[in-house]
Amino acid sequence: MKIILFLGLLLSSLFAQEVNLPVELNAWKSLAYVSAAKSAEELSTATLEVGKASYVRLNNTPKMKYVVRPMNEGGTVSYGGIFQIDIKESGTYRVALGNASWIDMTKDAKAAQSIAHNEGPKNSGIRKMVDYNLESGTYVLQLSAGADSSTAILVTKIK
Amino acid sequence: MKTVFLLFFLIAELSAQSTSKSDIVEKARQELGRRLFYDADLSINGTMSCATCHEQRHAFTDNNSVHPGALDDNGKRNVPTLANVGQYKNLTWSHNHLSGLAEQALTPIRGTDPIEMGMNGHEDEIAKRLSKNECYQKLFVIAFPKEKGAISLATATQALESFEKTLISNNSLYDQKKKNHELLPTQDAQDGEKLFFGKAKCNSCHRAPLFSDDDFHQIQPEHQAVYNNMKDNGLFDVTGKIKDKNVFRTPSLRNAALTSPYWHDGSANTLSDAIRKHNIKINHTLSDKEVNKIIVFIKTLSDDSFINNPQYSKPSSECK
Repeated sequence: MKIILFLGLLLSSLFAQEVNLPVELNAWKSLAYVSAAKSAEELSTATLEVGKASYVRLNNTPKMKYVVRPMNEGGTVSYGGIFQIDIKESGTYRVALGNASWIDMTKDAKAAQSIAHNEGPKNSGIRKMVDYNLESGTYVLQLSAGADSSTAILVTKIK
Repeated sequence: MKTVFLLFFLIAELSAQSTSKSDIVEKARQELGRRLFYDADLSINGTMSCATCHEQRHAFTDNNSVHPGALDDNGKRNVPTLANVGQYKNLTWSHNHLSGLAEQALTPIRGTDPIEMGMNGHEDEIAKRLSKNECYQKLFVIAFPKEKGAISLATATQALESFEKTLISNNSLYDQKKKNHELLPTQDAQDGEKLFFGKAKCNSCHRAPLFSDDDFHQIQPEHQAVYNNMKDNGLFDVTGKIKDKNVFRTPSLRNAALTSPYWHDGSANTLSDAIRKHNIKINHTLSDKEVNKIIVFIKTLSDDSFINNPQYSKPSSECK
């Protein structure tokens, strides 16, 4: 299973390198592997870093215990996962994602309100981008209702 | 005399019991429908529920021009609001033969032009998935006693219909002032109301109280060049009649300020764009100032109690 994921990771990286990405998305070209947590207890092993893209393995939705109940939890045949991420300084952050999973950026059990939604640059492998105004602190990034068992993700500061 | 009285009493009692029983069933269908409305198991890959496109905070639209389907197929039409949807004879942007909301629900669930929830050919999968859920097993029994709690696409869509019929929006500022026989609070809103119902003739199609006449109109140019570039034939695709080409149902303006973008294809970003897009004679005589006043009036049709009503929101995960 891991071999397939790494192969996907490699292909995705090669594919992304052919596209001219805006500076804030440059990190998308190099992906590290992270396995998503199923619950808050597993978060210490599912950490994302701002400015570093990750190829993430997701879980079957029925196994998920989200920190905050997502608006779109996904059906029993979908995939989800949660991650921990430290936001060191307040600002506007963009979550770029390889699939169309529902994204919740949560802190203190509350989901931050998104301020903009966009598609990724053409042929970049980025399916969607969602922006948030975030205060500094530790956040739990939740992905839900995903169509695939794996995807790529990048959280980057844009302002 | 006593016998007649007793008989009358018995009939009244039986009738009351039957009404209360059917009320319980209808209430159960509404609750079940609400749960199904927010359940992504109604889509092929579990990624999309009705609420994915019909978000309560946007008056049950989604603020996108069009919404891609569960399998990422391009969307075709702008998501229409569901406010007061139970009061319409015609449903969707351009259909005049749907028997009701239960049949309409099949369009997103198993429609192929475009593919939205992607269940065409996989309809049985819905019953299979829902049947595995203990909560649904209980709720279908209460909601469909005559059908012995059968979990099927037919009963699921009937429950969705029951829920959607509860989505009533009639408490906007305009409604409140109307009810109390009061004027709208600002001069611009009052002027806009006057224009809307008078000179601008918006009410001809966007007829109060629904702010839609539930009818079909062609309000874009009839030129051949426009026809040639059209990707969506409107009512023509249902009737096959040339006169129905480029004809769409009048959307309601209730909560319109919360439901941008506009037009059947979401091609008008603002209310001003949408008003100017009407290729009708009267539109060319309206000044920008008048259009702005009409917009101020349209904003009084926003109903906060509708977008915040907890009875329409996602139900708790607890089964009840």
